Amino acid sequence: MTSGSTFPQRLTKIDDLTRADHFYLAVEDECYFLGDYTARKGYAFSPTNPLIFNFKKKMDRRGRPEWPYKAQAIGTTAAAFRAAMNDKARETLTFVPVPPSKAKSDPLYDDRLVQMLAGIWPGQSVDVREIVIQTASTDAVHDSETRATPAALQARYTIDRRLLAPVPQIVAIVDDLLTTGAHFKAVSAMVRRVFPDTKIIGLFIARRVSEAVDVEDFDEI
Amino acid sequence: MMAELALEATDFDARAISPLRELGAYEALWEDPDTSFKTLSEKFAARPGAVPSDFVPPARARECAAFVQERFHAAAVNRFGVRVHGAGDYPEKLRDAAHPVELIYYQGWWDLAESRSVAVVGTRKPSPEGLARTRRLVKALVKDNFTIVSGLATGIDTAAHETAIEEGGRTIAVIGTPLSHSYPRENTELQRKIATDFLVISQVPVRRYESQDYRRNRLFFPERNITMSALTEATIIVEAGETSGTLIQARAALQQGRKLFILDSCFNNKSLSWPQKFAEGGAIRVVGYDDIREHLSSTTY
Repeated sequence: MTSGSTFPQRLTKIDDLTRADHFYLAVEDECYFLGDYTARKGYAFSPTNPLIFNFKKKMDRRGRPEWPYKAQAIGTTAAAFRAAMNDKARETLTFVPVPPSKAKSDPLYDDRLVQMLAGIWPGQSVDVREIVIQTASTDAVHDSETRATPAALQARYTIDRRLLAPVPQIVAIVDDLLTTGAHFKAVSAMVRRVFPDTKIIGLFIARRVSEAVDVEDFDEI
Repeated sequence: MMAELALEATDFDARAISPLRELGAYEALWEDPDTSFKTLSEKFAARPGAVPSDFVPPARARECAAFVQERFHAAAVNRFGVRVHGAGDYPEKLRDAAHPVELIYYQGWWDLAESRSVAVVGTRKPSPEGLARTRRLVKALVKDNFTIVSGLATGIDTAAHETAIEEGGRTIAVIGTPLSHSYPRENTELQRKIATDFLVISQVPVRRYESQDYRRNRLFFPERNITMSALTEATIIVEAGETSGTLIQARAALQQGRKLFILDSCFNNKSLSWPQKFAEGGAIRVVGYDDIREHLSSTTY
């Protein structure tokens, strides 16, 4: 018998079938994802669900037995993106991670996206730039993606002007989970200010379908 | 709204798929009257890594996708999705079918497709004892945390779905019509409920279904039984006649390396020859629920 499904290795574009799940996304927003996060309260069976859960595991869990799963999830995700994109992507894309909810000075600061991006093509040059940074820490739970508006998020962001040269060919804004699209829209708007003529796309590990349970609500899977 | 179907083939995203475009291309492939699940699976087997849109001009895919969207909208199927082989969360276990499906439609909670599940199927005209056995069996399976999969037909299938829901369990309907249709009609409400709270799966192409008559469409029912078997760890036959479509699923289960359980009462019916035939092929005769539980708990899935 074939074993269980593995995490997807090919990107899917957000189109008319899926866009309605992401409140802030419009037709002109070009977004791609690998897996669907579809966990319902109490259920979590697809390979995407535990992967996202482990990827987002909070930094205060360091040292606990479950901690190695986080590094594993980062590795699995990097490998999936490597399979989904070719060398041309490495040469033409500038990857801009959505800033984590905690500022760099915060002990809970989590650079999982930067680590993952660095792991896609190990040993090769990849243009990863943390152009958009968050000035102060926010509470991930009470400021969760389902509640924040793009405008409110933008107010917390600032641009790291040291990272603006050279002008990118295409900016890929990267986040782990696409929910309402608020973070993508906020970071897009920030990038657009400094690179008005550059094409911007969104790259996500997974999208969360409406009504699926918040990943933060799971203690264990 | 369809403009984005013409996905810009920039180099980095050439392999990215658009579900709507794949749906349209799949429907277009079925417009050829010679297309069957067998010919499609051969077409795709000859080109590993291919998706439906690799075989269909974009304009035709767009036209077919628009047709399906319009039909689904008219039938109030407003939220649905597709799974495409080779992309997204397509269940690998479906590849165990002799002619695996390249695209499936679904409505509801996709996650359930990856849960441990068992198919409970049987005749459309069950005896009162057959219905009582179905309910007892489903109760026990739900207690053991299995998702109950069936085909939404009258009789055993309906009892299996309904008992799973009543018992607070999970259920999946693998239907032999497009998502926009229900068969039998009296199960329309049950289908809607399963689509809302659980999961409904269909491999049936909408345009082909609507363009040919009911005699040819009947052939989609046994095809979905093969998919149902591949989706699940085991098939349990509660009650079935000598010429029942359920036996298609029995054969598929053994071919696919799935467990096949047949209730003892089928063997005791001396007018039936199929139970013995499948037992010789590896089916498990079930006297009590423990016979099922033992075999399922040994499965690492």
